[in-house]
Amino acid sequence: MLPSLSTPSEGGYFYTFALQTPPMIKVENLVKKYGETTALDGISFEIKEGEFFGLLGPNGAGKTTTISILSTIVRPDSGTVSIAGFDLQKDPEQCKRNIGVVTQEIALYNKLSAFDNLMFWGGIYDVPKTELKTRISEILSLFGLAERQNDKIESYSGGMKRRINIASAMLHRPKVLFMDEPTVGIDPQSRNLIFEVLEKLHKEGMTIIYTTHYMEEAERFCDRIGIIDKGKIIAGGTLAELKKTGGIKESIAVTFNEMSEEVAKKIGSFLEGEFKFTGNTLHYYSNQIKSDLGKLIVRCNDQGADISNIEIQKVNLETIFLSLTGKQLRD
Amino acid sequence: MLRIAIKDLKLFVAEKRSMILTFIVPIPLITLFSLAFGGMGKGSDVRKLPLVVCDEDHSISTKRLLQQLDSLPQLRLFHTSMDTATDLVQKGKEDAALVFHKGFADSLEQGRNLPIELRYDKAKEVQMGMLMAVLSGNLMHLVGTKSLERKAIVRFDKQNPGMDSAMKNGVHQMISSNFGGGTGTGKSESILTPTALSAQAEVSPGLIQAVAGTAVMMLLFSVAGLGASLLQEKEEGTLKKLLFSPLTPGNILFGKMISANIVAMTQLLIMFLFSWLAFGLDIKQNIPGLILMIIATAFACSGFGIMLASFVKTRAQVQGLTTLIVLTMSAIGGSMMPTFIMPTWMQHMAVFSVNYWSIQGFYDIYWRLKPISDPDFLMRVGMLFLIGLVLNTVAVFMFRRNILKIA
Repeated sequence: MLPSLSTPSEGGYFYTFALQTPPMIKVENLVKKYGETTALDGISFEIKEGEFFGLLGPNGAGKTTTISILSTIVRPDSGTVSIAGFDLQKDPEQCKRNIGVVTQEIALYNKLSAFDNLMFWGGIYDVPKTELKTRISEILSLFGLAERQNDKIESYSGGMKRRINIASAMLHRPKVLFMDEPTVGIDPQSRNLIFEVLEKLHKEGMTIIYTTHYMEEAERFCDRIGIIDKGKIIAGGTLAELKKTGGIKESIAVTFNEMSEEVAKKIGSFLEGEFKFTGNTLHYYSNQIKSDLGKLIVRCNDQGADISNIEIQKVNLETIFLSLTGKQLRD
Repeated sequence: MLRIAIKDLKLFVAEKRSMILTFIVPIPLITLFSLAFGGMGKGSDVRKLPLVVCDEDHSISTKRLLQQLDSLPQLRLFHTSMDTATDLVQKGKEDAALVFHKGFADSLEQGRNLPIELRYDKAKEVQMGMLMAVLSGNLMHLVGTKSLERKAIVRFDKQNPGMDSAMKNGVHQMISSNFGGGTGTGKSESILTPTALSAQAEVSPGLIQAVAGTAVMMLLFSVAGLGASLLQEKEEGTLKKLLFSPLTPGNILFGKMISANIVAMTQLLIMFLFSWLAFGLDIKQNIPGLILMIIATAFACSGFGIMLASFVKTRAQVQGLTTLIVLTMSAIGGSMMPTFIMPTWMQHMAVFSVNYWSIQGFYDIYWRLKPISDPDFLMRVGMLFLIGLVLNTVAVFMFRRNILKIA
């Protein structure tokens, strides 16, 4: 079933993703206030098992509060959350045992080796020692750090530390992995290794909730995406669904060396889609951009317009996000 | 909980600076304080306070009294004339001069105020405090009883001039017996026997003062550092990550307490082992007492460190507060100087410090030679456990209250 759009009494929109299979995560009417500031304003969503779910939003939108509540370290003012069938309020320990959290900050003990760090972080989830050693060996190989396992973390590069940081959250094999901007500020080699691991985990059926500022990452990995702004989920679904929801069309931007108002009006009168002029640039919006491109160029030539540049602007997460929130993701 | 403790101990060992500050730095400090308090070596080498004396009376009473003062283990007397004595003190070459003016014996016999004067260098108040502590007690025993006895007899005779001599003698004997036997200095001599004053232990009290005082003070600094590791975890995000795990805030804090206690006990043990090897402090004479006092002191001190970290927000604040609190507590608790030379109000304040109870406990073991079952010793151990319990309870309460604010 597709996400259903509903209208709450106080106005605005929020999405509930009603799923046919029992959800791995179910969030209902979550509210969190910090003093006078409302961080979360009654959000609801469901994530099914094995899904790769992206949570996008500008700074202060409520992403971190949502992740903090789901990972049990912040108590909501109202609303309910269940993870892997366990109620967060009633059984937080079972919820904790079923989740792994990769924080944006690298949370490791710099004076300990990678091996000792992983032994500690796996150990606190009561993974048996022998089993834990096997898992550490596997995960270090996966992340390409097996040879440096006995080196202290303080001697690692930023990318290597980030890899160990991710590894430390996976040793107890959680059903749900929360990843809060795990690729910020790292080198391409580490980024690619992390991407490989993410793809592997996704294939193995792990449920992943991923927040990022990098749209290409969200587009590449996420089965579904929720866009959060001012404490509300304002849109959600697959990328295709979001395109429809946002009502955004692809566009062609034609820039002219010189353009008179009279010529502009004549060109516009021949076009069937929406258009607008800004300065010397004509923006043409259409659902059939490829077939319209040739016609547009012919019309311009017919009117003797001197074209200096033509650019096709496709619909992507960035444009959807901008359209929905009026902000760049990094605002 | 144990995993947290083991991890913290691994981190502690991996941090060379912490190891040096905890186990190496206190050693030269103990050595310095031992030198300062005259605590090097055993009883025979105890450093004596120098005191210039001038006997202007030249009576049998003054000669006997000076002999008795000279036999005290705390004093070393130098006999000279009053002019020379005054000159030595004025020039700062000696701390003080005790002058027995002419008529001392007569005044003693007649129960009048005794013409004794202590001339001292005002710039040496601390030495004077120590000297007064030694002199006031001993002079009271030596001459005070006799003086009071004679005053009572003189007053009785004045009030009863017509009483016949046989009855008067009977009353005089009764008065004398009430002051200790009626034969002059008998009581004083028994007090002055070496057993009463110095036979408690062969070791110098200065050494105990130096070792216990310095060890407790340095321990407080060390555990404050361990407590700060909680704030380091908060600042570096590992505390938040721990809270994602099934560990409860209580598990995390108790783990920290265990590691802080282990480090604290190890530090104290090393300090006492060093004192044994370097200065001959006989730690073997009461090992159960030493172990109990080390455990109690470590518990109280680690409670202080953990509590500090539970309500302070940054490591910089911990450092500032630690310096302030530890130095204050060490000053009033007797780590820097013996409590007996402090003003009375400060001596009363001392009971609020960990240092006081711990130092007194170590005095019980090595100076007063009290067994582990002694009520006074057990009371001091109990006080340390009580302080530790209160501090740790406050820490747990504060930590649980503040822990969710970190996210």
